[in-house]
Amino acid sequence: MSQHLRRRQTGWLDKCLLLGLLLSMLILALPANAATGTDSTPNFAHPALTIPRIDVQGYGSLNLSLVLESEASMTFRIASATPAAAGLTPGATYNLKTQELTIPTLRVGSQFYSAQLRFISADRLQLVSTTAVVLPGQTAYQQLCASCHGADGLGGSVRVSLKNCSNCSALDVLGTRINNTMPLGNPSACVGTCASEIASYILTAFNGSSGPQAAQALAAIEPLSLDATLRNAALHLVSRVPSSAEIALVTQKGEVGLRQALDGMLEEDAFYTRLGEIFNDMLLTNRYLASNGAETATGLMLRFPTARWYDPGVSLRGSDYAFNRSTTNDSVALEPLELIEYVVRNNRPMSEILTANYFMVNGFSAKSYGITSVTFNNERDPNEFRPAVLPGIPHAGVLSSLMFLNRYPTSATNRNRARSRLVYDVFLDVDILALDGVRPDGSAVDISSKAPTMENPDCVKCHSLLDPVASSFQDWNLRGTFAPPRTWYTDMFQAGFGGVAAPARSKGDSLQWLAKQIVADPRFDDGIVRVVYRGLTGHDPLRAPAANSPQAETEAYLAESALLDQITAKYVGANRNLKTLIKEILVSPYWRADGLNNAAFAAVHEQTGAARLLTPELLHRKIEALFGFQWRGPLDQYFSNRNLASSARLLDARQYYHQIYGGIDSFTITERLSDPNGLMVIVQERMANEMACYAVPNDFLSARTARRLFPHVETSTVLTSAQGQAAVRQNIQHLHRYLLGEELALTDAEIEHTYALFSTVLQQGQSALGTSETTSLPTRCMRNNDISTGASLNTGGVDRRLRNDNNYVVRAWMAVVAYLLADYRFIYG
Amino acid sequence: MDRRKFLKALSAFGLAGTLPMTLGTTVWGATAQRLFVTVNASGGWDPTALIDPKGNSQRADGLGPVNKYPASAIKSVGRLQVAGYPDSKEPPAKSSAGHLETFFNKHYQRLRVVNGIDTQTNGHETGTRFVWSGRLEEGYPSVAALAAAPYASQPMAFISNGGYDFTDGLVAPVRTASAATFTSLAYPNSQYADNAALRAQTYFSNKAYSTVEAARQLRLARLGSGETLPQRAAQMAQLEKVRRGDVQLDGLLAYLPAQVSTGLKGQAELAVAAFASGQAVSANLNLGGFDTHGTHDDDQTDALTLLLEGIDHLWEQLVLRGLQDRVTVLIGSDFGRTPFYNTGNGKDHWNITSIMAMGAGITGNRVIGATDANFEALKLNPGTLEPHSSGIVVTPKHVHRALRDFLGVSSELDKLYPLNVERLALFA
Repeated sequence: MSQHLRRRQTGWLDKCLLLGLLLSMLILALPANAATGTDSTPNFAHPALTIPRIDVQGYGSLNLSLVLESEASMTFRIASATPAAAGLTPGATYNLKTQELTIPTLRVGSQFYSAQLRFISADRLQLVSTTAVVLPGQTAYQQLCASCHGADGLGGSVRVSLKNCSNCSALDVLGTRINNTMPLGNPSACVGTCASEIASYILTAFNGSSGPQAAQALAAIEPLSLDATLRNAALHLVSRVPSSAEIALVTQKGEVGLRQALDGMLEEDAFYTRLGEIFNDMLLTNRYLASNGAETATGLMLRFPTARWYDPGVSLRGSDYAFNRSTTNDSVALEPLELIEYVVRNNRPMSEILTANYFMVNGFSAKSYGITSVTFNNERDPNEFRPAVLPGIPHAGVLSSLMFLNRYPTSATNRNRARSRLVYDVFLDVDILALDGVRPDGSAVDISSKAPTMENPDCVKCHSLLDPVASSFQDWNLRGTFAPPRTWYTDMFQAGFGGVAAPARSKGDSLQWLAKQIVADPRFDDGIVRVVYRGLTGHDPLRAPAANSPQAETEAYLAESALLDQITAKYVGANRNLKTLIKEILVSPYWRADGLNNAAFAAVHEQTGAARLLTPELLHRKIEALFGFQWRGPLDQYFSNRNLASSARLLDARQYYHQIYGGIDSFTITERLSDPNGLMVIVQERMANEMACYAVPNDFLSARTARRLFPHVETSTVLTSAQGQAAVRQNIQHLHRYLLGEELALTDAEIEHTYALFSTVLQQGQSALGTSETTSLPTRCMRNNDISTGASLNTGGVDRRLRNDNNYVVRAWMAVVAYLLADYRFIYG
Repeated sequence: MDRRKFLKALSAFGLAGTLPMTLGTTVWGATAQRLFVTVNASGGWDPTALIDPKGNSQRADGLGPVNKYPASAIKSVGRLQVAGYPDSKEPPAKSSAGHLETFFNKHYQRLRVVNGIDTQTNGHETGTRFVWSGRLEEGYPSVAALAAAPYASQPMAFISNGGYDFTDGLVAPVRTASAATFTSLAYPNSQYADNAALRAQTYFSNKAYSTVEAARQLRLARLGSGETLPQRAAQMAQLEKVRRGDVQLDGLLAYLPAQVSTGLKGQAELAVAAFASGQAVSANLNLGGFDTHGTHDDDQTDALTLLLEGIDHLWEQLVLRGLQDRVTVLIGSDFGRTPFYNTGNGKDHWNITSIMAMGAGITGNRVIGATDANFEALKLNPGTLEPHSSGIVVTPKHVHRALRDFLGVSSELDKLYPLNVERLALFA
């Protein structure tokens, strides 16, 4: 193609040698790499003016880039000219006689102008005139849409951006969407031509110019290696290190192998533990677990006569009373999260978490609900949850869950608005309270009418959205019981969604109707993406920037939202299978970000990355994955001290550190701490000390081939020989890899730093032996009993105990392990 | 970099402590001279059962009485009007610090009450946010976080017991646990931290421990200097900063009672010990049990009794440590409860509420604001603070505007989180 172009250029040059502009264009066209993109509209983003396609008779189509050289004289220099991409329409014309470049529609931010430039030298043009242009649909957009989506389409007060929006794939898709649902609460205000023109304006104004910038921003991210990605994903999702088979998959098949390995992980039970945490962080229904009170969940089951089936009366309680009581409570409490697990585990579309006409029970909760129609393989297995239906109850997935409805109760004055607000927030990714910026002050609002929420424009803005959803909950009372009222309030908007009224109520199924509307709304997909993205990265996707935000913020948002839209499309295309969504996020540059290869993008990527302070639950499981036991006290007492709830240092809030370390109880504490504070770093310190004390001697008890930490050294390996020094270095290399995921060469400076630490502690300790130091290990570090049976390690004439550290090697390794366990790369992940 | 990010950056590098925020007096040093406590009655308390009493007269609209005690049971304690106990509820013992009369007789001279505050919401989350940040929408830090922000480099500057503790990154909230937990953290290298006789038995020798700690800090600095991802670089800088902080938990433990109480009293003991040991600048205390949709009179009375006992205990602890002239206490709740009973003898959410303030800088025995017989807010003349039909309705935004002025929140912070509303001298 390039040779063909060159031949044609030569012929054209014969005719137009003096036309410096075109000469410049054609010389610059020599690389002949076709530009990419689908937007034909010329665009000015200071200082670049880009014309995606300009046609020159007989010489094809060119993509022309100009750079503003002088703002005083408005002079542009030609920066590049390449063959235009296919599928574009011409956006400018060049008049050979007048040497004028005419651009009928030039986009400048969210404004449009017609522009005229005149050729003034070999590669320079001067802007001679501009005239504001009003595009079809622009005025209607400003009148009907801008108050919520912003004049620039980036989201405005409601922060629902129209840039890369999920309905922005095609004009007819967007036009239909607007025609049927917009403006929210009053869709009849814009139908037909109005809708299609606004759709055209949105696509032209907001959805054409971000491609190249977004691609550049993404290219600046240096991703983790696939091996490291696999390790991070395994620890995060299933709390283990990758298996050799998974590592082989990645080695042999690259990203395809990584995806296959992830597929396997997403089938493991451990993944569903993490999934429950991710969704509970948003729903907070674990507020009803027994850890917040013995019968906090079963106590809500007032209308179920067998709710407390496990209690035969005080005098008749058996030894299993306490177990049955707490297990039943937690089985009831976990119901909404179990529904989500069921949907994901069975590859059902996520829409079913709201539309399911069933709920989940196990053998314990089924008895409380009085359900006998469900058959369990083992009714005493608290993990065996199955779908069930309560007769006469129109289930609507999570929305009709007893836990959800009680967690977000209503009242005669609230009228389900709290429930509605949460539905918008979690399931539609819309913060109702952010609508129109600031809620009017009471003194500034006229609430004298009978129904200000329906009549006063200040109130209607929000309540026209909030109240139809709230009214759709009308059949579910304060206690979460299905109890259709005889009448419903007439001084608020009636049940509906997106401007569509719910059909006349029959059998109290307005919540089911609402659920169907919600899952048909593209924002439902955005909501699910947000929940998962937040769970995996520790932070929400970037919100659309405010109108006066720095350019870097806008670019960051455009790049991230463009990628998330692609991910969302794949997830939707996969029948809304959440596993697809999780996989796509995990292989994306945002989750794999390991650095930047271009410092110029530092501001754009200020928040890029998935590194986060591990939650107490994630850290607890990481410790167990790497050491084979949990952090809950000395190993000699480990067997007899198995009460996880009260002894796991990072899970118990009463005596230990769950709350201090930023955990939530989903009740009074509902926000996780994402930054460490003074106490949290001491928890890290104590964890490192204790775990080093427990793990190091314990590891030396095993045969070398079975060791996790010390496959290259013995307690007798010291630094007095070159062989010993090499073994220690090799083991340090192993520890950096095993505990921190660092792949370091033996000559790496970090290996030397760790070696120096080992050497220093060893020398200090050895020199103090007999004076301030003894040959005994610290008492709690001694290993006397089997960790899994509690039996003595000194039986049958074989003494396998480890109590002494004659040459201080064990304690020197303890120092190394403690050093690594409080490392950033261990406590963040 | 916008102003908020600039401030956060300062905070991340330990410089925020030099910002000119004061708590009553000008403070430029690293140690706060004035301290702040918020007490949150979580769930929505009923001011008509406390300091905005109405009595049991039947409402004109047929919704019944506001309260189930006679107007004659309302007591005047100084200028405060104190509720009676519901007819069906056995009051706590008069000797209890949580008994209404006992509490107010003891504290009325130091208590300032603002009644008739319109929270504009009936939602818990929104109400809590509005009452403690001054903004209905998300995004503003708790006032307790604002108080601690200039001292963000102190490792325990802001102690939180739940409730609304959003800080917007200005200061890291520290959550608390039992005294035993603090002991284990006071001596992280001890094998037997909770046993004074064995406490000296450590995991590592002091020498080895120092060597490890020094190696950690050097390693963190190396990692930070080579990091190209801004988010991770910021996390490393934050971790390094916090690790440099000197938490003196053993000093805090010295101020704790031998037996730390449970509930609100325990929270108060820990907060005061943290104040006395110079570890904390502000604390939010939190007590649940006020969301009394059913059997309101029983449950609300019990919760209020615990609340008043806790506040009294807080005050006694402050006096014990000589801090009563340095600590300002603000007591509030998500919103109020309906001025009528529902069919379950409960009370639902109501947007009108009250706050109480006491301690440093507060002139007590004064009530500002009022509600009518149906517990609707009366408008106030912003100048005289007396009810006036053409005045304004007081919202939490007004309260926080006044509170910030009273506390001397710096103009930097004030501009970051603007409250554009009339200035009322609620605390002056």
